[in-house]
Amino acid sequence: MTWSAAARGAHQPDNTAFTQQRLPAWQPLLSASIALPLFFCAGLAFIGLGLGLFYSSNGIKELEYDYTGTAGTGGCSACALADRGRAPPPPCSCAWHFSLAELFPGPVYLYYELTNFYQNNRRYSVSRDDAQLSGLPSALRHPANECAPYQRRASGLPIAPCGAIANSLFNDSFSLWHRRRAGGPYVEVPLDRTGIAWWTDCHVKFRNPPLVNGSLALAFHGTAPPPNWPRPVYALSPDPNNTGFVNQDFVVWMRTAALPTFRKLYARIRQGNYSAGLPRGSYVVNITYNYPVRAFGGRKLVVLSNISWMGGKNPFLGIAYLAVGSLCILVGFVMLVVYIRYQDQNDEDEDEE
Amino acid sequence: HFYPLVRDLLHCAGEENWVDSRTIYVGHKEPPPGAEAYILQRHPDNRIVSSKYTFWNFIPKNLFEQFRRIANFYFLIIFLVQLIIDTPTSPVTSGLPLFFVITVTAIKQGYEDWLRHKADNAMNQCPVHFIQHGKLVRKQSRKLRVGDIVMVKEDETFPCDLIFLSSSRGDGTCHVTTASLDGESSHKTHYAVQDTKGFHTEEDIDGLHATIECEQPQPDLYKFVGRINVYNDRNDPVVRPLGSENLLLRGATLKNTEKIFGVAIYTGMETKMALNYQSKSQKRSAVEKSMNVFLIVYLCILISKALINTVLKYVWQSEPFRDEPWYNQKTESERQRNLFLRAFTDFLAFMVLFNYIIPVSMYVTVEMQKFLGSYFITWDEEMFDEDTGEGPLVNTSDLNEELGQVEYIFTDKTGTLTENNMEFKECCIEGHVYVPHAICNGQVLPGASGIDMIDSSPGTSAREREELFFRALCLCHTIQVKDDDDVDGPRKSPDSGKSCTYISSSPDEVALVEVVTGLPGEISTMVSILAFLFLFLYKREIYLFCKGADSSIFPRVIEGKVDQIRARVERNAVEGLRTLCVAYKRLNPEEYEGICTLLQAAKVALQDREKKLAEAYEQIEKDLVLLGATAVEDRLQEKAADTIEALQKAGIKVWVLTGDKMETAAATCYACKLFRRNTQLLELTTKKIEEQSLHDVLFELSKTVLRHSGSLTRDNFSGLSADMQDYGLIIDGAALSLIMKPREDGSCGNYRELFLEICRNCSAVLCCRMAPLQKAQIVKLIKLSKEHPITLAIGDGANDVSMILEAHVGIGVIGKEGRQAARNSDYAVPKFKHLKKMLLVHGHFYYIRISELVQYFFYKNVCFIFPQFLYQFFCGFSQQTLYDTAYLTLYNISFTSLPILLYSLMEQHVSIDTLRRDPSLYRDIAKNALLRWRVFIYWTFLGVFDALVFFFGAYFMFENTTVTSNGQIFGNWTFGTLVFTVMVFTVTLKLALDTHYWTWINHFVIWGSLLFYIVFSLLWGGIIWPFLNYQRMYYVFIQMLSSGPAWLVIILLITVSLLPDVLKKVLCRQLWPSATERVQVQAGPRGRVSSGFGRAVTCAERPPWLTNSSRCHSELPRTTLGCSCSQGGHTPSPLTPRSRGGAEPS
Repeated sequence: MTWSAAARGAHQPDNTAFTQQRLPAWQPLLSASIALPLFFCAGLAFIGLGLGLFYSSNGIKELEYDYTGTAGTGGCSACALADRGRAPPPPCSCAWHFSLAELFPGPVYLYYELTNFYQNNRRYSVSRDDAQLSGLPSALRHPANECAPYQRRASGLPIAPCGAIANSLFNDSFSLWHRRRAGGPYVEVPLDRTGIAWWTDCHVKFRNPPLVNGSLALAFHGTAPPPNWPRPVYALSPDPNNTGFVNQDFVVWMRTAALPTFRKLYARIRQGNYSAGLPRGSYVVNITYNYPVRAFGGRKLVVLSNISWMGGKNPFLGIAYLAVGSLCILVGFVMLVVYIRYQDQNDEDEDEE
Repeated sequence: HFYPLVRDLLHCAGEENWVDSRTIYVGHKEPPPGAEAYILQRHPDNRIVSSKYTFWNFIPKNLFEQFRRIANFYFLIIFLVQLIIDTPTSPVTSGLPLFFVITVTAIKQGYEDWLRHKADNAMNQCPVHFIQHGKLVRKQSRKLRVGDIVMVKEDETFPCDLIFLSSSRGDGTCHVTTASLDGESSHKTHYAVQDTKGFHTEEDIDGLHATIECEQPQPDLYKFVGRINVYNDRNDPVVRPLGSENLLLRGATLKNTEKIFGVAIYTGMETKMALNYQSKSQKRSAVEKSMNVFLIVYLCILISKALINTVLKYVWQSEPFRDEPWYNQKTESERQRNLFLRAFTDFLAFMVLFNYIIPVSMYVTVEMQKFLGSYFITWDEEMFDEDTGEGPLVNTSDLNEELGQVEYIFTDKTGTLTENNMEFKECCIEGHVYVPHAICNGQVLPGASGIDMIDSSPGTSAREREELFFRALCLCHTIQVKDDDDVDGPRKSPDSGKSCTYISSSPDEVALVEVVTGLPGEISTMVSILAFLFLFLYKREIYLFCKGADSSIFPRVIEGKVDQIRARVERNAVEGLRTLCVAYKRLNPEEYEGICTLLQAAKVALQDREKKLAEAYEQIEKDLVLLGATAVEDRLQEKAADTIEALQKAGIKVWVLTGDKMETAAATCYACKLFRRNTQLLELTTKKIEEQSLHDVLFELSKTVLRHSGSLTRDNFSGLSADMQDYGLIIDGAALSLIMKPREDGSCGNYRELFLEICRNCSAVLCCRMAPLQKAQIVKLIKLSKEHPITLAIGDGANDVSMILEAHVGIGVIGKEGRQAARNSDYAVPKFKHLKKMLLVHGHFYYIRISELVQYFFYKNVCFIFPQFLYQFFCGFSQQTLYDTAYLTLYNISFTSLPILLYSLMEQHVSIDTLRRDPSLYRDIAKNALLRWRVFIYWTFLGVFDALVFFFGAYFMFENTTVTSNGQIFGNWTFGTLVFTVMVFTVTLKLALDTHYWTWINHFVIWGSLLFYIVFSLLWGGIIWPFLNYQRMYYVFIQMLSSGPAWLVIILLITVSLLPDVLKKVLCRQLWPSATERVQVQAGPRGRVSSGFGRAVTCAERPPWLTNSSRCHSELPRTTLGCSCSQGGHTPSPLTPRSRGGAEPS
């Protein structure tokens, strides 16, 4: 066999660090000597953090009341009974009385909680039209097909806002009354119904359609409200900045919950005398009972809670940090024992060699 | 194409079916009316079509080809299901990756096909000279038809397969190189048809009146049978045989010859070159097989997940208020749908939802890894051979990781273990021993008397014998001489006067002829009457010479000093020299005539020509007189012993398969440390079987071996401890065929098992006297034995091709005997010593890398999909997706793809030098260790654990509370994004934990892809995307990051997910460290090992005094020359005596 001299060097590979797989590299080893201090440090840090989280979670106060009205639980059972035959729901109201022995530190937030309500059901959660909700006039008259069967009324009028989510808007309402002294008059605690939805939602994502002759009602002319709604969308609130698609109750409801048990923010208590919290005294929450939940086995709760930097009361995070921290320390000790024993063995092995 | 079909059909009927022939009228001239009538056949034109597609059929045909791959088809089905039924994810999520993969592949294949079209066109349009009506005409190559007479000039390539009619050289020969066909750049001589070689001009050749009958085209390059009928003035045609020496193949190039004339017999796609386009059968690696098994497991998981969810959904929905609560009414059409149809669509929807568990990107990544990774072999400077200017070749990248799994190596000896660079050592004539000066005086003495006798001086009768002996050496060979000075030959003849080069396919012959060159004496008239048979007319007497291996010569010898020569031959063989014996026979004219007719008859035969020739030779080659023997040394290749030692330390069993004599082969085995001094040799040879029955021998051997293996534990089997008995087995071809031969009583299986049992317990096995097919047979035997070990075959010659193709991995040594082995191999290396780095370093790395790649891909997709599965329990089994469409689509494509690809290209868990220094590390990955079920289950469970952590961590976090400081509530998309973020970080950091080799590229890719995820999420949520019909991700990611607890939970969950893996790693390293881990610890603190260190440690080379072998031709004695099976076992090209430059003494 013959090879020409010209061929030599022509196929000669490049001699670079990359092609020869000799790039300079850091070669860390996850050995016990590195892992041990790591485990102890992480364990200590986690325990510290966990303690902080645990105490700050424990400092949060929460009051909740189930007003579903199952037999014998408070005043709402009458309303619950009336709820059997569904639409139209008879007007019904009930109340939750409670008293605070000491200041409930603010800012206080009023939530409602629903259970067994599947906002995350796929058919339900796609049943909306984001284009319509962004105020696009064409989409207003032509709701997306996903909205079916809440896309058009039987009469053919397009529904605005269309879809199952909008149709099932939570329509119980709450008012909070405070009595400083026994026998005194109940004073209504002002509830701030703004700032309960994401700023970006009610200022960017949700927009009302352009006004016609300065009137929102005319802008919605030619559409029908969802079947379950007693009033059209432009009449959701008397406040012109909080009505139509940008109504904050509506926007909050439209952010579908992740789990079948969920809370939604109803109002913030931060005005007047109540900016520091709820002072001691007795309170009553008047509930307008509209929303039927017993049909699907759900419950309704009203929740008063204050909030820290880490949000509402949630012992999980603190406990989890404590548990993981202690686990790290424990594992660290186990490894230390193993490490020491292994080290002896290793030395012996080397001696033998 | 009709004919190939017919041919295939006929091939099925019988290999050498004479019905299956074609008749060609040379120059399209009808034969004279009296001649036999032939059915005219239609042949395709000379158009070469190597392209697969045309402009019109590219899209449908390419799509069809691509969707024939099972993975692509699976994703197509998923995509179609998404299009047809209402599914939770948009078709984009699976359509986009699929489209991407299909498009990239189509563009690549389209480009390749375009290149092929271009090459085809260039080839089809290149001008060719035809003879038409006595004139030279230029036409495009594609217009060439069967029967056309073509003229080809020097350095031109033959346009189709031609029968060589005449040449500008007076003797009717031409030289050809077949570099583009089989890679052999040596010059081969072809011969014009005897009766037409006088036609030198266009007019002459136009007057030729002949027909050619030949077989239909078949792909074997070295086989051709045909005959030509030349019609002279009389109607009685002259019939001549045609063989492959008369055939000029398309693709070969004419050399050293001004011009030739030939007639086209096979054109276009029927040429042998075109028929050889078909690729070899695909080999699949063990990793690929386990990957497919894992895929099936995951497919089962996928189906069972979908089934479980479907069943649970209908159980859960059996209460109407759950199926259709007042707030979530169905449409009328949904209500009326058939229950079973609904259940089926639900099942499909779940399948679609979980289909990401089998990621389309895995196939793409694995293929990219293999393709790109194989460049590291070709780039490797240490595997580049300076002497030859050759580097390693990668013919397939599918088997990269298989190099890390080899358990058995079958190696050829000559040219693989040895240099195949022959040096004449001595010759023995009539019992007298002659050695070259070089050995006596320690220096080469060129000139008249090159050989001295060391024994007693010979008598006068011995003089005559001596002369005959050297004459035989001069004549019995296939050497060609090149006289140009600029010849690129590797061997220059030693005499300085005229520079000439001997080119031969057999290096032994070169060595012998070089010695004979410059010997005194005169060669009288030589007459070669027949091609093939060298007869020698000397002093009015005709001699017949015969050269071959001792085993084949001795039985045919009746006279001569047999015992003395045999003793000498045996002595030489023990020293590892290649021995050849020379014998002769005096013929009287009558005998000579008889031989002529016998051979002529055999050679004209169209059927069973080879068999008949063999029979003829058998008749001729008998009653010979023994002249003497030669001994030639073949040096051991550089570092061969070191390499074999390292491979054995790596737990690989090395078998040497050779055609050589047992003694020669055993000597080589000792030299290359395959056998050590303490190795107890077990012999299973014909001689021993003759003494006892095969049955007894086998049982005795197995008893010997098994007595020890009882006390032998696997881990202890380092093969090096002095107290352990080391066994080496020697078996020869005849004994092997006895073992393999099925018996009437069906006891063959028993023998085979017994034989395998013995082999398993031997550290080294030497198989000598093996025919090429037996080599393949033994590879197959081991391959199919019950452990299914991974086999590797390495060889350099055509006789190794069968075993290279048979073994799991075939490696060719780019050697002196042509490139057939390299061409048919999966990988080719310039030297045997490169095998060490190939297996111990590259193979190890590839295996580590790809097994991590496979496991990691499954792991990250379990992490990805299992939370989705869990979420179904909390969303009423409604197929709600947890993650946004963009995340579903991009998870495998961009967020987690590059780090693993880079890992699988760059990872070095141990440094290159450590791997080379410590071959035993190879044992750590033997038997597919990193893809065992235990490991697979560990990864899967790790994935499930991580998925549980992600999901329930986020679940408890979101349960019943707010996590923002302004009291606002997060929705389901934030929940999914939180899980997804934790997952992307965990999965990437898990890979970071596994990475041992952090180059700047790894840093860049790992941290870069995390950064990319963050930037992408910010962007994706930061803008109202006008083309989307939903804006569910708007500000979700940013809102999540604005919450303190979200950060805390991300950190917590990542830590918890990685904790068990860290723990497992640290504990395993402490308690049960593998050899690799021990080495890592040792190498770690001391820093990086300098690259020169590994080389310094290499073992001292054994002096190459023991080496040798003899080629296959020496096993088969052939009258005249030993060329009967040089390359590829083709029939020998005859050598007509020519002026041979300085080759012959005059």
